[in-house]
Amino acid sequence: MKPHDAQPDRRNFLQHSLLGTAGASMALASTSHVTVAAEPDNQPTHEATISNHVDVLVVGGGTAGTIAAIQAGRTGAKTMLVERGSQLGGTMTTGGVAFPGLFDAWGKQVIAGIGWELVRESVELDGGELPNFAKVPQRHWQNQVYTNQFLYAILAEEKCHKAGVELAYYEFPQAAKRVADGWQVDCVGFGTQRRILCKQIIDCTGGAEVVGLLGFDRLREEVRQPGSMLFKIGEEHQPGREQVHRLYVHGADSSNSRTVTQANLTGRRSVLAKVRAEKKRLMHLQPETGFRESYRIVGETMVTVNDYTSGRQFDDAISNAFYPVDLHTKTGVRPKPLKPGTVPTIPLGALIPKGSRDLIVAGRCLCSDQLANSGLRVQASCMGMGQAAGVAASLAAQTGTTPMEVPLAEIHKVLREHGAIIPGKA
Amino acid sequence: MRRSFVSLLTAMTFLVIAVTGVLAFVRPFSMTIVGLHALMGFLFIGVVGFHLANNLRPLKRYLRSKWMWINLAVTAALTTAIAMQPQPVKALLGLSGNLGPALDRFELHDDGLTYQYTPAPHYKLTLSVRMGDAFDPADPPEFAIWIENSSFYHIRTLHRPESADNEASLPYWSFKVKEYEKAKLAAAAGVDVDAISGATKNSSFDPADYMLPVDPEEPMPYRILVEINQRGDANEAVDDQPSLIYSVEVDNSDPHAFQLLDLIGYPQLEEDEQPPQWAIYYVDQRFDSALELIDSALLTIDRDKPSD
Repeated sequence: MKPHDAQPDRRNFLQHSLLGTAGASMALASTSHVTVAAEPDNQPTHEATISNHVDVLVVGGGTAGTIAAIQAGRTGAKTMLVERGSQLGGTMTTGGVAFPGLFDAWGKQVIAGIGWELVRESVELDGGELPNFAKVPQRHWQNQVYTNQFLYAILAEEKCHKAGVELAYYEFPQAAKRVADGWQVDCVGFGTQRRILCKQIIDCTGGAEVVGLLGFDRLREEVRQPGSMLFKIGEEHQPGREQVHRLYVHGADSSNSRTVTQANLTGRRSVLAKVRAEKKRLMHLQPETGFRESYRIVGETMVTVNDYTSGRQFDDAISNAFYPVDLHTKTGVRPKPLKPGTVPTIPLGALIPKGSRDLIVAGRCLCSDQLANSGLRVQASCMGMGQAAGVAASLAAQTGTTPMEVPLAEIHKVLREHGAIIPGKA
Repeated sequence: MRRSFVSLLTAMTFLVIAVTGVLAFVRPFSMTIVGLHALMGFLFIGVVGFHLANNLRPLKRYLRSKWMWINLAVTAALTTAIAMQPQPVKALLGLSGNLGPALDRFELHDDGLTYQYTPAPHYKLTLSVRMGDAFDPADPPEFAIWIENSSFYHIRTLHRPESADNEASLPYWSFKVKEYEKAKLAAAAGVDVDAISGATKNSSFDPADYMLPVDPEEPMPYRILVEINQRGDANEAVDDQPSLIYSVEVDNSDPHAFQLLDLIGYPQLEEDEQPPQWAIYYVDQRFDSALELIDSALLTIDRDKPSD
């Protein structure tokens, strides 16, 4: 496979766009002016119909998808990342849960790689502090890394750019079908229609939306965990330094635009009521509810809560995970900590929709039961599986096979080369 | 003083002492009942003095009889038996609802120790620590056992070491106790201290409030900690391995009959903090024999349904 054979004009466009984004953030303070680069094909923006041929298509630029795309790009795959929102980072940035736990367990780091690189750089650039993983936290969340959500989003874009990942914001897949060389995915955005031909798809939508579009089985609980609307009233919000206030949005469901709309309306209404009741100034409000649950795939392997709490070492483990079993309910949450020394693992089979080829998921939609998922869904674990999915998909594209058939040793080797921690070898 | 008045007064005060004595045994600790029992006891002693003065002649006769010696022997035997607390006596004391020291028992054996606490007849807590291979009965390690609330405030020390140098030997426990004393003083001075003086669920110093929460819907989780240290246990890495801390969390809303204490780490002074604080760090390769001081520590809780 040719490394990074993107057209020069496309790359220039990306560079200009990035400069534009960075500049725009400065413009608020300095009132200097920036100009967004014109579309290279010079088509009127409302009529653009674009075609792309890529090796790996990543759908969803959230916690897992961003890392998957950067990894696929760094592994040499021509990669495209389609994101329905306006920025990368998902729950961390748009949802505002900017404390991606947990990278450590029992005194040592168990998840590293690209996700950690991005978080660490965000913290360092922001002059923040990284926790000392050797110190026993009195509560599990005390080892969360407080991250500047705004910096994270920009740095993620920069890393995508450097890895040659093409970004498409405000777009989402509308149709997908099998073609001779892989997949044809039709995406729409406002003023944009895009046809993408790709060899491999990584579904990082959080709700396995592409998997659903392709007709593979999915699971969804009758009652899903509440989402969190993050806000701050009364005092100034300091991103990267503290947790913000939050309220539960019961019934929050990220399965489709209607349920997302409903959750956001409900969350904002509740914040407004709180502001009125407490008579304090609203200082910060995230643009979207942070969702916890949606669809999960029916995969080749299911991670059960017993697998999770016993720290089962799967034969095809590709990543570690760590977090208490953390089911949020109407009556609140009582995390059930894992037993000392326990580090759950994530098998490759849990990322593969059952009976599929050339398709892999990463993030909270992996195949798991609800209790196991309540611990697996957290950001560091999603970053770990995103990176593994990026490796598996790009190697599969490179060798003309499917992620499940890529030799595990090869996946581990590439992951290790890119700074990831392989289960059992931390 | 008039004989009839003194005799009746003796009988009446005895009646009060007898009733409050039974209540003090059966019911949970009450300052009113114990205060009544104790102060009425003092009054009773005075009244008995007058009673003896009024009945000196028959009393002298009793002292000269053989029953005097039999009575003395029976009293001495009963006192010794109750003081030694053999199993039948323990069982009887176990029926008491009092939170007094009789129900807070600590025993050292050749192979470990047992701590028992029974805040109510239907709730019996037993902590059994089995000592490991590195435990030397001739030079036993020092250890402390204590309870903390969910805000990590020391509530009560269940066992304290005999050494005067606790601060060096068991620094984490010493730090926790100091913190607790400071918080108590602040609370007494009316300063709003989190988890001590505030109207929080964790403002109590009585372990019974955690084990037998008034509102079962809002139980108060707590944790039991053990800090253990063998002084001067050098190895290749260090001259003296630091103390180790074991812990278990008890949550009555998620009851378990058996729970093992987990090793959570060793204490280290954080001098960057103002004032310096002791924090717990994960054990590393410096530890070897210290890890063998405790084989296992098992917490057993028998929870029966409270009788109506």
